[in-house]
Amino acid sequence: MLSAIKKSFFSWVDKRSPRQSATVLRQKNIYILPTRYGWLMLGILVLILIASTNYQNNMGFMAGFVLLAVGFLSLFYTFRNLKGIEVRCLKSAPVFASNDAIVTVQLVNTTQSQRVGVGLGLSKKSVRYVDVAAESKSSVQVNLATNKRGLLDVPRLACTTMFPFGIFEAWSWVRSPYQVLVYPKPIPCPEPLVASNRGIEDGNTREKGAEDFHSLRDYQAGDPIKQVMWKAYARERGLYSKEFEDYVGEQQTLSWDSVAHYEKELAISYLADAVLSAEESQQHYGLELPQQTIATGQGAEHMHSCLKALALM
Amino acid sequence: MNVKELPITRSGVVPLLIIVQAIVLLPLWFFIPSWISATTIAILLGKYYMYRQGVHAPRWILLVVVLLCVGGVFLQFKTLNGRDAGIGLISLMYAFKLLEARSYRDASLILFISFFIVVTAFFYSEAIWMGVYLLIAVLAILLGLVALNSPQGAQGIGSIGRLSGVTLLQAIPIMVLLFFFFPRSSTPLWSMPTDTQAGSGIDDTMSPGSIGALHTFDDIAFRVDFEGEVPARSEMYWRGLVLSEFDGFTWFKDQHSPIRQELDLPMTQTFQYRVQMEPNNRNWIFGLEDLAEAPDGAYLFSDFTWNRRRQTAQRFIYSATAYDIDFSQKPLSELQLDRYLQLPTGSNEDTRDWAQEQRQNHPSNEAFIRWILSYIHQNEFYYTLSPPVIEIDSVDGFWFDSQQGYCEHYAGAFVYIMRAAGIPARVVTGYQGAEYNPYGDYYIVRQSDAHAWTEVWLDGEGWRRIDPTAAIHPSRVEEDLRGDASSRDGWMEEFGADVGFEAPEGLLQNLALRWDAIQSFWSETVMGYSQDMQFGWLRKLGIERDQYRYLGYGLLATIILAGLVFGYVVLRSAQRLEPVTKHYLLLLKKLQKLGIPCDRTMGPKDVLQVTRATSQKAYAKAAPALKTYIALRYQQEAVDSTMLKRFKQQVSRV
Repeated sequence: MLSAIKKSFFSWVDKRSPRQSATVLRQKNIYILPTRYGWLMLGILVLILIASTNYQNNMGFMAGFVLLAVGFLSLFYTFRNLKGIEVRCLKSAPVFASNDAIVTVQLVNTTQSQRVGVGLGLSKKSVRYVDVAAESKSSVQVNLATNKRGLLDVPRLACTTMFPFGIFEAWSWVRSPYQVLVYPKPIPCPEPLVASNRGIEDGNTREKGAEDFHSLRDYQAGDPIKQVMWKAYARERGLYSKEFEDYVGEQQTLSWDSVAHYEKELAISYLADAVLSAEESQQHYGLELPQQTIATGQGAEHMHSCLKALALM
Repeated sequence: MNVKELPITRSGVVPLLIIVQAIVLLPLWFFIPSWISATTIAILLGKYYMYRQGVHAPRWILLVVVLLCVGGVFLQFKTLNGRDAGIGLISLMYAFKLLEARSYRDASLILFISFFIVVTAFFYSEAIWMGVYLLIAVLAILLGLVALNSPQGAQGIGSIGRLSGVTLLQAIPIMVLLFFFFPRSSTPLWSMPTDTQAGSGIDDTMSPGSIGALHTFDDIAFRVDFEGEVPARSEMYWRGLVLSEFDGFTWFKDQHSPIRQELDLPMTQTFQYRVQMEPNNRNWIFGLEDLAEAPDGAYLFSDFTWNRRRQTAQRFIYSATAYDIDFSQKPLSELQLDRYLQLPTGSNEDTRDWAQEQRQNHPSNEAFIRWILSYIHQNEFYYTLSPPVIEIDSVDGFWFDSQQGYCEHYAGAFVYIMRAAGIPARVVTGYQGAEYNPYGDYYIVRQSDAHAWTEVWLDGEGWRRIDPTAAIHPSRVEEDLRGDASSRDGWMEEFGADVGFEAPEGLLQNLALRWDAIQSFWSETVMGYSQDMQFGWLRKLGIERDQYRYLGYGLLATIILAGLVFGYVVLRSAQRLEPVTKHYLLLLKKLQKLGIPCDRTMGPKDVLQVTRATSQKAYAKAAPALKTYIALRYQQEAVDSTMLKRFKQQVSRV
């Protein structure tokens, strides 16, 4: 029953706060309720008024009414502390499963009033507090636990404040339009991944490249200026080009077939680990998956597309 | 660190809490038993020490100390119930809470309970200083709350704490509104045990020295505000009690004085006045003779005195009218004759014999009274505050031996002599005279004005007031008392009193009177505000008692309306954008209208590109404004006002 109410409440909330990269907090999406200390204060207020009536104590009435007025005013001040803030959700970097994804949220204050103690987090009960000075912005990083590869929706984020007096809490829910790409968790494979490792066969072929200095030859038009042997030229021995060689020997294609006999998630984790170690040892590598093949390559971008393919498999 | 609430380990929060508690407890330290005050101070200092050392008190020590304190309170008051014990206990617990405070929750509890502690101090005093205390304490508590809810803690409290001051200033008008309009109840919701505390004031017995003891008290007994005519100060005899029973040493209040029946005697109204009485924890209240009606909650006795049902433990305000009642048609009853002629046998025999002997020479009552007064005038009778102590037979000792005394000696002896001579007489105690306060146009009656005088019954005339101290020769009046004695009833004209208003002299006295006028306003209009006063001025506004509930609706509507207006203003101020941003957003809106897909998440350069890509016409219009915006935002330290002006113009041209 309760969970059904909660569910329909949050679907109503979500309808009011669509997924968007920038949300301006305004009447429509700010909620406000007394905190438990607010309720305590109300109790104390009632106690003071009863005691004052009973003892005909006018000073007590004054204190009670001041308290009432302060509570009343703090409703507006707490609301104001949140109103007009623009919450910008930024794209977050991919992470490996079981590491925390970091969602960075910017609180942008374009108004002339300072905002104090604005908290942002996954729920009202777990937030990080920052101040947002007038006409400036502050960033809050929200750690998001991951346990599964794939695309992770950023959950509803709570942006909350109890400033100035902690009598009321104003909050809003913000939904990021971005998803976090969660790479598979890399697990070293107990056996070497040899299958379809064509690279090893022609591992000793040499190609002209830029890696290792090999020999000198006469300069030919079109040679990169970097490779000109300037020292020799300076000694008037003529224009020579340095020749380099790349070792392309450790080129491998990581194939799904080599791990297909493992349980699917484990297999993906093994491949992810293989991608990482290949990248680490600066090998050229490719990926062969049932639905997708990635040509051999190297570098951060290449690794990302391999891991992404694994994550979304 | 992800938290629900901010931790209190942030800079300066704990010291601020200590300061707030010290401010809140400050007045209580003067009222509660000194060991409790000392303990709370020690706890606050101890907490500061522990804060500096970064340690916490172990729980078991806290428990032991709490138990010791509860035991101490019990030993002190023999109960944990009742006002004083309760306040003692709550102030101790309040300080202890700080000792074990480790989280936001603890700090928040302390700060909100502080509001209640502030109110407990008002049970002891409602003086004007307490109003100042209320404001300071609330400000301190609000500052504490601001620091507690700010991630910076007490740092920068100077700037963000301004909000507490602003809130308090805005709260005051709301408080005033509620204070005067909030429906009041005239009776307590439940009866509470009265903590009887001896206040200074006139008691219901009179023995030599009892009224003289009050002369040193400069405390205000009550203030009087006359409507219309004002009696001469020599005529201001504030009757409080009639003492008619004498045991040879002490005069007692008549225990059997009946509540007075309706009077059907001819009478004329003389003076109308309002009395604002300070609490004295006694039942009787004071008025000018003659009293015909009792104020609310008081009885009128046949000896023309008033008693309240309850003791005056809070300031009490009543209105009264003095009448001149013609008693010529109403003789004393047998019972009354007995009472007012009653004398104890076996004491003060000398005076009795002397009086009866002298009576032979002066057969008429009036002549006898006049003769006794001139006897006082002509013989060596002294008016002094420090007469010799008389152990037994107070009248004999005074009349024949010492001949020195204060008003109670004279009044007692005079009534004794009258009764011995067969003239019904009684002692009256109360206050005589008053100090005029020109700044508030009212009169101040102090405890030092306490006085005792007499009333004698003259057939065909009724009770006549006779103040025997007025008969003492001025040269035999002690210097300190000369001012008092000179303003008394000159029944014998030759003792001529200077009557009338004396202009206050000296700056100090001037200031004192001004200060008292402020205090009087405070205690009468503010602290004395009650349901009666509320009804009174509401009636002036045309709201009758039975329409009272409309007042509640009106109040509610006013508050809601005020809240809406206030909310609008506050929330508008939250949206007030800095001018560059404001115009930039306006520009974006205009571009969107022109069909350019841009929004505020895009940088201005992107907007520029998108505009160029979408529409050349729009680009031509918007480019200068966008370029100025980029210059304003990214190429300059501060906003240049001529550039801002140009930007505004460019935006308006788009």
